[in-house]
This record gives sequence, C-alpha cells and structure tokens, in this order.
Amino acid sequence: MIEIDENALIRCPVCEAVNISTGDETLCHRCGSRISNQKSSTQKAWAYLITAIIAYIPANLYPMLITKQFGMIEGSTILGGVVTLWEHGSYPIAAIIFFASIVIPVMKFLILIYLLISVKYPIGKDKKVDKHKLYYMTEAVGPWSMIDVFVVAILAALIHLANVEIVAGTAATAFAISVFFTLLAAHAFDERLIK
Amino acid sequence: MKIENEEALDRLIICQQCHTLHEEIPIKDGTKAVCTECGSMLYHYDSRLVDNGLAWSITGLIFFIVANSFPLVNIELLGHEQFITIFKTFLSLFDSGYYLVGLMSLFLIFLFPLMIFLINIILFTLLKLKKAPQFTKELLILFSHIKPWSMSDIFLISVLVALVKLIGYAQIHMGVSFWALAIFVAIDLYITKRIHISEIWMLRKRIFENKGNR
Repeated sequence: MIEIDENALIRCPVCEAVNISTGDETLCHRCGSRISNQKSSTQKAWAYLITAIIAYIPANLYPMLITKQFGMIEGSTILGGVVTLWEHGSYPIAAIIFFASIVIPVMKFLILIYLLISVKYPIGKDKKVDKHKLYYMTEAVGPWSMIDVFVVAILAALIHLANVEIVAGTAATAFAISVFFTLLAAHAFDERLIK
Repeated sequence: MKIENEEALDRLIICQQCHTLHEEIPIKDGTKAVCTECGSMLYHYDSRLVDNGLAWSITGLIFFIVANSFPLVNIELLGHEQFITIFKTFLSLFDSGYYLVGLMSLFLIFLFPLMIFLINIILFTLLKLKKAPQFTKELLILFSHIKPWSMSDIFLISVLVALVKLIGYAQIHMGVSFWALAIFVAIDLYITKRIHISEIWMLRKRIFENKGNR
C-alpha cells in the first residue's frame, strides 16, 4: 500500500495516464514522456505567446489577399475583407471569418494571459472548474483560426487568369506564424498550474 | 487516498475537461463512462475496438487517397475553366513565394492527416497480431504529438468559405475530391470521438500483460 495525496496526481499530457507528481520533473510511468517542469513551462508559454502576439500585429496591418484585376492591384486586410463581405451581404461568411481570424485569436491571447497571470497571482481562485474548461476550450477552438489562411491559399490556387488573379499577401505568413505560436503556447502551458 | 502499487494508477482517470479524479469501473460492452462533474466522456468499452479501429482507419485512408487524386472543385470564370486539387493549393503558395505558409499547409492538411491514418492502421494491425509492444508504444506517443496538428476538418470548411466568396463571380462545380474529403473528415471525427487514446493504451496493456509481459 502506498499512501498518496490526491493533489499530487497529475495527468500525462501525452498518453493521459495518471501519475504521482514527484516535485519538479516527473517521467510518465506508462509512456516515459517527461511531464514538464512547472517553472520552465510557464516561461515557455509566455515566450510563445508574446511571439504570437507580435506576429498578430503585421497580420492585421498588411494585406491578406491581393486581387489583381485588369491591371488594378488591390490588397485587403483581414478586417477589410470582413467588412467587404458584410457589405456584399454574405453575413454568415463574414461572421465565420470574423470569428476565426479576430475573435478566436484575441480571445486565446486574453485567456492564456489570464491563465498565466493567475499561476503567479491568486486571481479567480475559487472557480476551479471554469478555468479548466476555459483552457480546454482554447485548445479545442484554437486551430480554427487557420481558416483564413487556407481560404487565401485556395483562392490563390483557383483564381489565376491572365486578367484576374488572386495572390496571398504578407499577412498570410504573419497570421500563420501567429496561429502556430499560439498553439505552441497552449500546448506548453502546464494544466496543473491551474489552481 | 491509498493505492496498492504504481500499477493501480492505471485504474485512475483524470477528466480531460475539468480535471476531476475518477476510478475506472468495468462497464457493459458498447457503453461509455462520463464524468460526474462535467458530463464529458471518460472512456468507452468496446470489445471489438481493434477490429473496428482497423476497419475505420483503412476506409479513411482510401477516401484520403481519393481526395488527393482528383479535383476538389471546378470553376468557370470569364469563360475560363479552372480547377484545384489539394496539392495545387500548396504549389500555388510555393509559386508565389510563400514557402512558410505552403510548408505549414502541406504538413497540416496532407502529411499529418496521412500519418494519423497510417499510424492507426499499423497500430491496430500490430495489436491484432499481439506483436511489438515497444513499437506500439512509440506509435502511440507519436500519435499524441501529431493529433492536434491535423487540420483536414478546418481545410474542408475553408473550401466552403472560399467557394461562397466566389458565388456570383463564377460557376462552381464540386469535384469528386470534395465529397471524398468530406467523408474522410467525417470518418476522422468519428474515430476521434469513438476511440480515445487512453483506451488504446489500456487495451495495449491488457494484450501484452496476457502474453506474460514480453
């Protein structure tokens, strides 16, 4: 018989086995993965998150989509694209793009910042379940931000006539980098830190 | 809380969504256990897990191959016909110099989904043959690392969004690949929902324990 503290039980992020935490670094007894060290996981998450936020700025300032039509070159930013779609009456598509490219990334930044701060300072301590749900939601919803990048790629591949051509813009790269690093930040974040 | 030894840890399960600790109990074939706190699924019990998993993975792979071999959509724009395949999407990004986005898309919508299904097929075959305990372990670990990065479902929705943007400018005809991709995504979602990674770990443990811990 081993006496264990229920609070010392942690879940392996790779294989989901339950492990007994032995302090700083624990190796999973089932798959052998290193269950990350709490301090470095927070630092990593911050680093990835800040990179993502920085990349998100050019992603919104530069054009996402460049339309070349009979010699006229016109670039549209993410927000500009949403506005155009809205004005044309494609409300559902405008809403999807708005959610995927603006609401989800910004929400993810805010939630991760909130969770990372709450690791250090006791904010919202009594609402344990909510924070886990919040984290789970950001994990589940995060990849959907890639929609806009894929849409641009599809349009660029589909429309390249002599007179009318669509090309991806600089923002596509910036946005893809931003999504990539947000996903890394969410993965790096150690769920056990939610207290 | 008291447990007998480290082995007994495998009978515990922590809810994925709310982190409540549960003890695994035997349940009827074909039923599932849910979390008492938040109601999310904890595990299924399916006595034919290996066969079902293998069958679904092979079906999925076939649809994946079809989805990648034919045009996704054809459009008619200003009298010109254009079509795209999944591969053309990456190529056009490379052509216009967006190597990073092109490479990312190649991984997210082609390589990772393909790897997921290949891993599943190899894994279930090995489990069925009750062979290679070490290799199945490595496959499972690789699977967990890749799974969050497989984005076929998001690509499918992106195709729809892109097409809706073109309504009014061009005539759109869906290609064979589009439907194949839609079925592939449905199978992918079904497998993800139906077969939880921890169930395969538990199954692997049962299989290789019965063989006397090779």
